[in-house]
Amino acid sequence: MSISAERQLEQEAAEDIFFGQVVMIWARWFLIVAGAIFFLWTAQATTELALGVLPIIALMAVNFYLHGRYYLERPSNMLQILTASAIDIGLVSAIVLLWHSDTVGGRTGLASPFFVFYYPVLLAFAFVAPRRLTVVFTAATAAIYTTICIADVTSITTAKILVLRLATMAAMGALGTFYWRIQRDRRRMGLALTS
Amino acid sequence: MPVRPTRAEAQADLEHGEIVIVLARWLLIVVGVFLLILKPASHVAELRFQIALILLLAFVNFFLHAQLLKRHSLPRMLAYGASALDLLVVTILVLSQGGDSPIFVLYFPALVALSVAFEPVMTLGYTVATACLYGAIAATQMPTGLQAAPIVLTRVLTLTGVAFCGGVYWRVERDRRRRVERSLS
Repeated sequence: MSISAERQLEQEAAEDIFFGQVVMIWARWFLIVAGAIFFLWTAQATTELALGVLPIIALMAVNFYLHGRYYLERPSNMLQILTASAIDIGLVSAIVLLWHSDTVGGRTGLASPFFVFYYPVLLAFAFVAPRRLTVVFTAATAAIYTTICIADVTSITTAKILVLRLATMAAMGALGTFYWRIQRDRRRMGLALTS
Repeated sequence: MPVRPTRAEAQADLEHGEIVIVLARWLLIVVGVFLLILKPASHVAELRFQIALILLLAFVNFFLHAQLLKRHSLPRMLAYGASALDLLVVTILVLSQGGDSPIFVLYFPALVALSVAFEPVMTLGYTVATACLYGAIAATQMPTGLQAAPIVLTRVLTLTGVAFCGGVYWRVERDRRRRVERSLS
């Protein structure tokens, strides 16, 4: 590969991150709003509410920083994006594993309703990151969720629920990265036709 | 820069994005068959109806996939109708299992796929319809002992969130293409 072609690929990857990261920022805002509503609604003790709001504040701080940089046209690099997404997954996993509220049946692990927060994070990451990284990120998230829930899989019914969730989580990564690739090919085709 | 795509742009977007919908639908079919076969429903009539729905979806998808393989462009109304059918089938499956049915997660790939293929105004219509329909089903049929509102609201918000992210990405990519076209013209 010539140096100019290599440079073009590097620039394309940088543009993918530059233009695509707003999707991740919006996905995180949805996560924050949904999480805040849930915690404020379901917490029944002051300690519970104080603890529950901590991950929301952490996510808001991360997102304010990233959104601010985006507005200043100083977008984040791949490492920062990867770190922020890893924090998202870590916080969601901690909530799924630990958050216990009687108003939603006192449910953690497989029974926790918070697993839905994984979906926007996985999709947004797949829209921005290159394919290999998306595969690793999606697989790692699925592995973490499986580890959290495996002890709750005690029957075929619960196994079915886990498989269904893992398949749809994988679909977020797969569809996101597939569309990312379609768009990249479309741009390249447009460039080739006009040049 | 116009906000809404031109007719030609919308058709090109649909042609490039329809394969994502077709693949998402195959996933829906495979997962649906897996769920129905492994520990099936206790009533034969219920299972018969669910299998018939999945088979109908498979036939429709095979037809659409064949059109794409033959490089025939799909009429927009057909693509819109097929996506409405996806959401309808998931809704019927959820309805047959009650408000806390785990099947609602199948809405996620269906909404993501249409959000990247259709123009945002269509995505908005499908998302609002799905959120209202699912919200109503889940809120009224949640098992007793569970506080339905926060659970349903969280689910509806994340469903809306993935469709919104798909729409934002669709727009980001359209602007990138327009920028490239302008710089070269």
